[in-house]
Amino acid sequence: MDSFALWDEYRQVVRSYNGGWRIGKGVYCHGYSIMDDLVGNISYMQMVILNVTGHLPERRLADWFEARQICMSWPDPRIWCNQIGALAGTLRTSAVAATTAGVLASDSRAYGGPRTIIEGMHFIQQALHDYNNGLTADDIIQEFCAQHGGKPTMMGYARPIAKGDERIEAMERVRLSLGFDVGPHLTLANKIEKVMIEHYDEGMNINGYVSAFVSDQEFSAEDANRISTVLVSSGVTACYVDTMKRPAETFNALRCEDVIYVGPPPRRVKSRSINYKK
Amino acid sequence: MGVIEDEPQSGHFSVKRRDDIFAEKLKTRIWQEIPSDSNPYLAKACLCHGYELFDLMQNCRYSEVLYLLFRGELPDKDESKLLEQLQIALINPGLRHPATHSAVYAGVGKSDPAHILPISLSVLGGQHLGGAEVEQAMRFLRRACRKPVEFTIQQHILPMLEQQNTVKADIHPVPGFGSHFGDIDPLVNQMARHLQCLPASSKCLTWGMTFTSEIATYNIGWLMTGLAAAVFADLGFQPRAGAGLYQLLCAPGLLAHGLEYANKPLSAVPFVGDEQYQFESEDG
Repeated sequence: MDSFALWDEYRQVVRSYNGGWRIGKGVYCHGYSIMDDLVGNISYMQMVILNVTGHLPERRLADWFEARQICMSWPDPRIWCNQIGALAGTLRTSAVAATTAGVLASDSRAYGGPRTIIEGMHFIQQALHDYNNGLTADDIIQEFCAQHGGKPTMMGYARPIAKGDERIEAMERVRLSLGFDVGPHLTLANKIEKVMIEHYDEGMNINGYVSAFVSDQEFSAEDANRISTVLVSSGVTACYVDTMKRPAETFNALRCEDVIYVGPPPRRVKSRSINYKK
Repeated sequence: MGVIEDEPQSGHFSVKRRDDIFAEKLKTRIWQEIPSDSNPYLAKACLCHGYELFDLMQNCRYSEVLYLLFRGELPDKDESKLLEQLQIALINPGLRHPATHSAVYAGVGKSDPAHILPISLSVLGGQHLGGAEVEQAMRFLRRACRKPVEFTIQQHILPMLEQQNTVKADIHPVPGFGSHFGDIDPLVNQMARHLQCLPASSKCLTWGMTFTSEIATYNIGWLMTGLAAAVFADLGFQPRAGAGLYQLLCAPGLLAHGLEYANKPLSAVPFVGDEQYQFESEDG
């Protein structure tokens, strides 16, 4: 067999696990007719989850994800991804360019967004495994610290700028109103937070809460990441709209003196004796 | 899943601002702007790592200033030549490359021409033959070149070959090296031989040449990402710069192909018919 036989199988053909458009017949998504079965019958977040996982979730679970989406996107341009939306507005980009730039920025290791949920879910799932094998919440933190320079920097605990997280209380209300039980991951996450508060003066953040809840709903970390791709988009767009209403280059305006130069002193390019011609 | 608690979880940390100290101003080692006498928002002169911009414009090549921007010093003649030849090698990934292909679809789809590069460069950021692989390959090469190639073959190549012997898809047993469409990529390996002969070629390119000569028997060799990584590493660039530099150097070809299609009708690209569009089950 040719070494390139695999690619010949994919040549001039498109294969899809999802479904798609059968022109003149219908549009299909994982076996559902979008126009007949889904439009008007399911929420947008149900559709998002269906597209990622291939399974249509119950409405209340999609509603929980939608509430979480509201929690995670604020119209405050000091937030890093939102600042990019505001800067795009001040340079008069299109709304789509501004929003996608901000969404791209949220693919970050540093703050709560689509990427951090992967590490957050891996942590709490491993932690529950260890807990079920006899470790306490305190043991789990100590073991983490031993492997990470003595610091309890588990994804899902502590956060930049502030201590504590107002979004957890809000999402707890949503959980209760939608009738979700507290599962084993969230129970353990709360136990870990109690130890963190007592010994390290740090609490759980929204990513820790979401990671635990979503683990209890039996999502994989990768699917949770994919459902969360445009988590911050609404706040980014809001910040873009704000700066579009103001004169150009007025957001975060900087005089030359507002940037401190710490590089080498002035110097001259030496006479070049290089002959680049071959 | 059993009910463990059904009351709102109280006792979470109350929210309070940290006492972190943030910088009052931005700082840079790269660029100095001298304010004009009449308007503090306008610069009357700019210096790059101490060199006045007009001095650079009149006395340097683009590749030299590019190197200066990232490394802080102007390159010598040999370093400049190596970088410039890599720039040409990478200038166009070719229309079949998925990143270029995405530029074409942005162009023919009448996306705003300003979006062609952001769209295609995002695609070029991936871990398979993209910027992310360049960064990984730079980290790999900087470690690997301190040891004989036999060590890497024993550690990475042989175990992977044992695991993958039934898989038909490409393998990258270490970042930047592997098969492409099932074989050694002849053009990339020819480029590697050429670049390795240049005077500024150093440890990573040399190690890579020895390595690929040893692993050729397994039908794996240099990938473009590995070659770019070796040159970047030999020129002293940091791995975290690798992804972006790779995107930067490949950008001209992506833009050119995107623009090539920007004036063409939608029918200028294939639209696969329903008979060639196959629904499949993941379960087989």
